[in-house]
Order: sequence, then C-alpha cells, then structure tokens
Amino acid sequence: MAFTPRGPEASFFEVLDQHRASLLAALKRGGEEPTGGGMCLASSSEVLSSIEKIIQDIVTSLARNEAPAFTIDNRSSWENIKFEDSVGLHMVSHCTTRKIKSDSPKSVKNFAIILKILSMIYKLVQSNTYATKRDIYYTDSQLFGNQTVVDNIINDISCMLKVPRRSLHILSTSKGLIAGDLKYLEEDGTKVNCTRATAVAVPSNIQGIQNLITDAKFLLIVEKDATFQRLLDDNFCNKMSPCIMVTGKGVPDLNTRLLVKKLWDTFHIPVFTLVDADPHGIEIMCIYKYGSMAMSFEAHNLTVPAIRWLGLLPSDIKRLNIPKGTLIPLTKRDQMKLDSILKRPYITCQPFWRKEMEIMADSKMKAEIQALTFLSSDYLSRVYLPNKLKFGGWI
Amino acid sequence: MEGPAVAVCEILKYLIIYQRCETAGVSKGALLEGQLVISIEALNSKHQANTLHCVTTIAAAGSIYGGLVLKKLLKDMQSILPGFFANLNWTSEEAGHSQDASGLRPFQMIFEADVKPRTLMTDSLVIKNFLRKIITVLPKIRFNFSVKVNGILSVEIFGTPKFDTTELPCSRIHPVLGHPVMLFIPDDVVGMGLLGELTLTPAVALCPCPKVFSNQLNRISSISIFLYGPSGLPLIFPNSEQPTTAVFKDASYFIDWKKYRLSMVPNLDLSLDSGSVLPDVSYQVESGEGDQSQNMGPQGQTVLLFLFVDFHRGFPGQKMELWGVHTLLSAHLRAILRESHSVVQGCIQAAVARALEQHRQAVKAHQKLQASLSVAVDSIMSIMTGSTNSSFRKTCLQTLQAADTQEFGTKLHKSFQEVTQHRFLYHCSHEVKQQLLPERNEAEQNTDKAHENGSLELLAGTGEQTENKRLKRGSLGVEETGASRSAGALSPSEAASRRAEPTAAPLTFSRSRTGPGSGLEDAVWLQEISNLSEWLSSGPGP
Repeated sequence: MAFTPRGPEASFFEVLDQHRASLLAALKRGGEEPTGGGMCLASSSEVLSSIEKIIQDIVTSLARNEAPAFTIDNRSSWENIKFEDSVGLHMVSHCTTRKIKSDSPKSVKNFAIILKILSMIYKLVQSNTYATKRDIYYTDSQLFGNQTVVDNIINDISCMLKVPRRSLHILSTSKGLIAGDLKYLEEDGTKVNCTRATAVAVPSNIQGIQNLITDAKFLLIVEKDATFQRLLDDNFCNKMSPCIMVTGKGVPDLNTRLLVKKLWDTFHIPVFTLVDADPHGIEIMCIYKYGSMAMSFEAHNLTVPAIRWLGLLPSDIKRLNIPKGTLIPLTKRDQMKLDSILKRPYITCQPFWRKEMEIMADSKMKAEIQALTFLSSDYLSRVYLPNKLKFGGWI
Repeated sequence: MEGPAVAVCEILKYLIIYQRCETAGVSKGALLEGQLVISIEALNSKHQANTLHCVTTIAAAGSIYGGLVLKKLLKDMQSILPGFFANLNWTSEEAGHSQDASGLRPFQMIFEADVKPRTLMTDSLVIKNFLRKIITVLPKIRFNFSVKVNGILSVEIFGTPKFDTTELPCSRIHPVLGHPVMLFIPDDVVGMGLLGELTLTPAVALCPCPKVFSNQLNRISSISIFLYGPSGLPLIFPNSEQPTTAVFKDASYFIDWKKYRLSMVPNLDLSLDSGSVLPDVSYQVESGEGDQSQNMGPQGQTVLLFLFVDFHRGFPGQKMELWGVHTLLSAHLRAILRESHSVVQGCIQAAVARALEQHRQAVKAHQKLQASLSVAVDSIMSIMTGSTNSSFRKTCLQTLQAADTQEFGTKLHKSFQEVTQHRFLYHCSHEVKQQLLPERNEAEQNTDKAHENGSLELLAGTGEQTENKRLKRGSLGVEETGASRSAGALSPSEAASRRAEPTAAPLTFSRSRTGPGSGLEDAVWLQEISNLSEWLSSGPGP
C-alpha cells in the first residue's frame, strides 16, 4: 500500500545538499566520462558478426591444420588491472592473456564449453530472447559441471567480444531490493513504484528501465538484507524521505550494481553505504565504489567512485561506547582480508578509510550494525543514521 | 628330414652371443650392432625325388668374428643338434676365414642338407620369425635373409628402420617395465651346469598404442607372450619339443583375470606365414559373466607381455657360457618358472596391472576428448546452420572445401581429430624424451606421473588406422609399414630407478612416423632402444 512520505524538514538536508553540490562541481571539473574501456551496448547484428568472426577464425585454423584456440584476457589478474580515481578498478588496454586450446586435454573441455555457450548466445540474440545464467547452466548441467563454470565463461565471452553481458542476451538473476522514492518504467511497460511499504526486487533488465523519477536526497546502500528489512520496518524511507534504499544482500550482483550506477548517472545524488564494521563489509563497499577484479572489464558501467562510507565506522564503536561484549574478534581470514584491502591501490587515495581500517586492525575487533541495537532497539534508524546524514558523518 | 631352421637359429644365437662377449668390455650399454647374412640356395636334388638340396650360408661382416674358432662352433652345435649335424656337409671350413677387400676377416660358414620342399618353406618362415624376434630386442643388428629355390630369389632385410612421409598415428608401443625378480633354479637344473642367478623382468605394453585411438579400442582381446633369454635372444623355438603353452598353463600368471572379469583361452591358431611376429604363447581374452562390453566391437587391444630371463654369475665365466645357459633355459624353463611360481606371478601381475591402469586412464582421457570435440563440432554447426549471413556460410564452406553443410560437418569433425592427433604425436615422443633424460632417473612415482600425464595427452585416432593387432615388422619389399603398429618407446621407470644411464627396454619395430630424416627423433629412438639384457647384466637390482 503506498503511503505519503513525511520526511524531516528541509534544513535537515543542508549538509547533504552541500555535498551534492560538491559532487556536481567535481563532475563538471572532471569533464566528460572517460572514454575508452567502457563497454557500450552492442547491437544484435554486431554480436552475431563477432561470433561469426570467431567461428571463421576457428575454421581457418583447422584448414591450416592448426589447433584452434581462444585467447582470453586474464580478467582476474592484478597485473591487468589499474586504478583510476574517477573510475575505480578497470582493465588495462593491453593485458595479458591465456590460451584455451582445443588440442590440450586440460583445456579442450573449456574450449568446447565456450563454443557451446557462444552457440547459445547466437541463438538468443538471433531470436531476440533472453536467458539467465542459471537457464544456460541447466541446458546441459552435466557438461558444465557447476554454475561457476558457466558464470566465468560468460564473463570471459563478454570480455572477449567487448560487449556487456546484456548484449549477449544473458541476464543475471537479481537478488537485490529497492525501496523509497523512486518510480520507473520497465522495458515491457510495467510501472514500478518503490514507495510501497515492502521493497521491490531489482529488475533484471537495468538497461531497459526508463522514465526514472525521484526526489531523493540520497541513496543508501545497505550491505545486509537483515539491516535493510529492519530499516523498512522502522519506516526509515518515510522518516528520511525523500530517499532511496538499496540492498544487494551481501556481495552485490551485477544488476544491483548496474542499478546503483544508473541512479548515480541519472540523478547524481549522494550515495552512501551502510556496512558492518568488518573487512567483509568494507570489501562489499569497495565493490560498489571501485568495482571488482572479476568485472573490471566492465568497470565503467558498474562503479560509482562518488560513494561515501556512512557507517558503521570502526571509530563509531569507541565514539558511541558500543559495549565490548557486542564486538567480535577478527579471525585470521578477517586479518588477511583487511591486510589485502589495505594494500589495494584505491586505499591510497582514501586516507580516512585507511585510518578507519587501521583502527580496526589495531583493535583486532569487528562489529556488526546490529551491535547498535544494544544501545537501543531502534538506535540505527532513529539516532545513528539521522545524525550521520544531518551532520555529514560520512567519509 | 630336418631342415636348416634349427641350425640357422642356433648359429645366429651363437654369433650374437659371441659378439656380445667380444664387445662386453668395450662398449657397455651400447647398442649391439652388426650385419648378418643368411642365404639358402635350393636346387632339385639329383639323387632323390621331391627333395631339394639346400646350401645354407651364414656370413657376417666386420672383424668382430675374426677370433671365432669355427671348430669350436661346430663342436658346440653338434652337442645340441647331433641328429642334424650328423647328416651335414660342411663346405670349406677355411671359407670362414677369408679376407675381404678391406683386409678384415668376415665370418662365413656354409652347410648343405637335403630337405623336402615343404620343410624348406616352413623353415624359412621359422627363420623369419626368429629374426623378427631378435630385432625386436636388438634393433641395430641387420639381417639379410635370402632364399633361392630353383633360381627364384626372395630377399628380405630385417632390422632396417623405415620412415614414412605421411603423418600416421603413433605406431609405437609403450612398455611398462616390471620389477625384476630372482628365479629359483631346481636342483636338477643346477646340476646341469646352471650355476648362477636367474632373473625375470616383465615388460607389458598394449598394442596398438592406447593413446591413439579408434573408437573400438576399449577392450582387451588377446594376450601375446614373448620369451627372451640372456643377451636378448628369443628363448623358445616354436617347434621346440616343449610346448610353449605348457610353460604358462596357469593363466593366472599374468593377471588376476577375475578382478577384470575376463577369462583366457589358449590361442593355438598361430600361423607363421602371417607376416607378423609370432608370439611364443597367445591367448584369446573373453569376458566373464555380466560384462558385455568386452565382447562388443570387432577389435580390441592386445596385451604384449615380454618376459626377459637373464643370467648372472658372481664371478667371470667362460666365454660363450651364455649360449649354454640359453640352451638349458630353453629346455627347462617350465620347471624353473614352476619353481618360482608365486614370485613370477606377482611381478607379472603387477606389471600387467600397471599397463592396464594406463590403458584405463587413456581410455578415460580419450572419451573425455571425444566428448569435448563432439560438443565443439555441434556448436559450430549450430551457428553455421542457423546463420542467415550467406557470406559467413560461404566462407566457412570454402575454407574447408566443403560442398554443403553436411560435408562441412564431416570435414570439421575430421579436422579436429587430425589436429588433436597431431599434437599427440609430439607428445608421445616428447614423453619418451622426458623419460630418457638423465635427470629423470628418480623414483618410479615421477616417471609414473609422466606416464599419467602422457596417457592423458592423447588424441583421437583416425578411422584410417589399420587394426592389425599383431606386431608387424616392416621389412623392405614385403609389407606396408603404414599398417605397422608396434614398437618403440619403453618407459624406463624401473630402469631409471635402477641405474644411471637412461635406457629403455629393447622393443622396436617401426618408429614413430614423424617424418623422414628427423635426426633428433632418430637419436631419441636409438637411445630408447637398447639391449635390455645389457642393462640387466649390470647386476640384479634392489
């Protein structure tokens, strides 16, 4: 049931508005979006031609009595990834590659699977139909073995053809949720209004949504579904209206990232993250902001470097006197992840983030957002977030 | 009326053992080389009807036999073939010491005998088979064998490797060496003069090479056993008094057939004139109950079991003693093996099990490859047939020179098979090269790993492969070596673990057909093939 949002007074958003102004100014100073490296949606004929070219190359190799092979960019190799403040992590133009050979028993199966998926993509594009990665897997689960194989090869094909996955007519299943002041039209004409009491699933066709309408002052990305639901229950979107909330339920899927990117590109409203004060939460935040290694080839379509860390900050733990009994010691895995994040290239341009992580490393403790409930059950939505937003408590 | 075969074979054995003794201290571990000429000239006898008067000449080039005392040779021969030599006419003993133009003293001996035509024909086949068996182990000895009957001449040369310009699938076998075991010598045999140690080393291979497949090669159809004695010489004549099958009456010698749900039936249908090397013992393999896959399909693989019996004496013995040992072994092998039944059974079964395991892995890898290639071909065909881009379709057809989509699919599949097989040819020999590197004289496991990797590095065979399972010797002017599918590379896993020099079991017929004049390939092949007995004579292993 829709309800009339009743948010705080306009003065509440002064700092937010200033922040937005500075973001817009930074955008103007930065000029246009960096060219090159970005993947544009390819037309169907372009995709079909690319696949036909690959087949022709294979046939030509065979005619020369040479074993055909695919040359695949090493997407997940740090040597092929560079960091730019305006983009985040993205692939270098001349990156190292690996060969998937047809005459090696170690790689012949992969070679065959790539061809199989290419043939399926060809059919999808030709018939203008779509399938999810899961659909692809179930067409021949015995051949593919597991979903991860399919996912990786689809990404490899996307990288190889230099087109986004959407252009391959392969959709990813969305698990994310949206709530708040947002309306849009899906490609099939469906009107979506996210101002309902319950959240809306992130659509599977982000590129196809149109007529986005919002008055939101900010977009809050929430790491966990539990926290998102808690905020919904506390009527946060109404109390902080106008705003938008999104959750990826952990590590975000492609569609959730595409949506966040689209909202930023369309409205240029401040984007904040609310994650646990632990290395995993920080990593998730970094994925939204700077991108992931695996998807670095599509970074320009996915990253929002303007994202700010709202909470839970490690420094908040001490500042708010969160009981030590609610804290959790860092595990060895946490330590390793924290060390890894600290070494990443983007942390060097985020001194405040580094400082927060060093606080965590020194204390060897982490905290979930739920730790705030020990202060009061609605402390998060009633006190913590409103104060953070009003007084600019983000880094 | 006894033919010349027995004498020829014994004399050849004698000469080869003599050569080994002469060169033992000079070139240890080197390949035994030489050229021997055997010629039989037969004319209708003037004194007897339906009888041929045969003049048999055995000659050898080089000076190695310069010290051979012909009288001693004859005396030794007479001791084992009294009946034959009683009727023999030796012509010109001095001919055995003539000089050639170079001043060297080549060896030659001539003997005559009257034989029935059928006997001569059979004996010719026996001699040929014997020569084939010798060159399996001693590839650098060449035999020139000619038979002239009433003016009609037939010549064959054995021991000459032949290259083929076409790229054929791997024509080698890849024997797996078993651990040598000591044999117990019965007292009565010891009393006859066999004073020393006898060892048995099995080598097992699958023929054809399991890494190059046709679709039918997924079962074992027969087992062929070859027996060799000291100096790498064939141990038992086919027409010996002692039936060779009796030696291995107990089929469980070879394998725990129950484990593999197979049973063995003696194959007595062995023909000398097939042109193949005749095994000493042969069995047909049939499936046991409930395993239908074994009986399906027209062809299968042959398990080749080479058993090398060698003799070691703790102190220097007389020259040519090995020849005497050979004779004793030929007569008493059954008793010796029976005395050592359990150890023989254990070592053979272990070697066979390893070879079969490699086969199983090769089959699995082959199936995996075939499945993948099938997916690849189907995917390409799906795009090709579904495309509305006529230019693309035309280009694909033209590239593979196909008239239509159906032909395109056939050629596509064939092309994939060929390129993957081509890669395997490299890898098949590459694996051997790796195994022969001195650095790789490590424990068995490392070589097993190479085997494992190699066995996975297989490629599909072609339908054009012939399916002759028998070992074939490509002798000049006799048969097409394209059909050959035996020989070559031994995995010196156990060999490497026993001594420093990289050696391989002396198994060879034709070489891997990678092209003529590939010098490196020659060198590797020759290095692979060395006299196993030479290696064994360095002493029993750990």
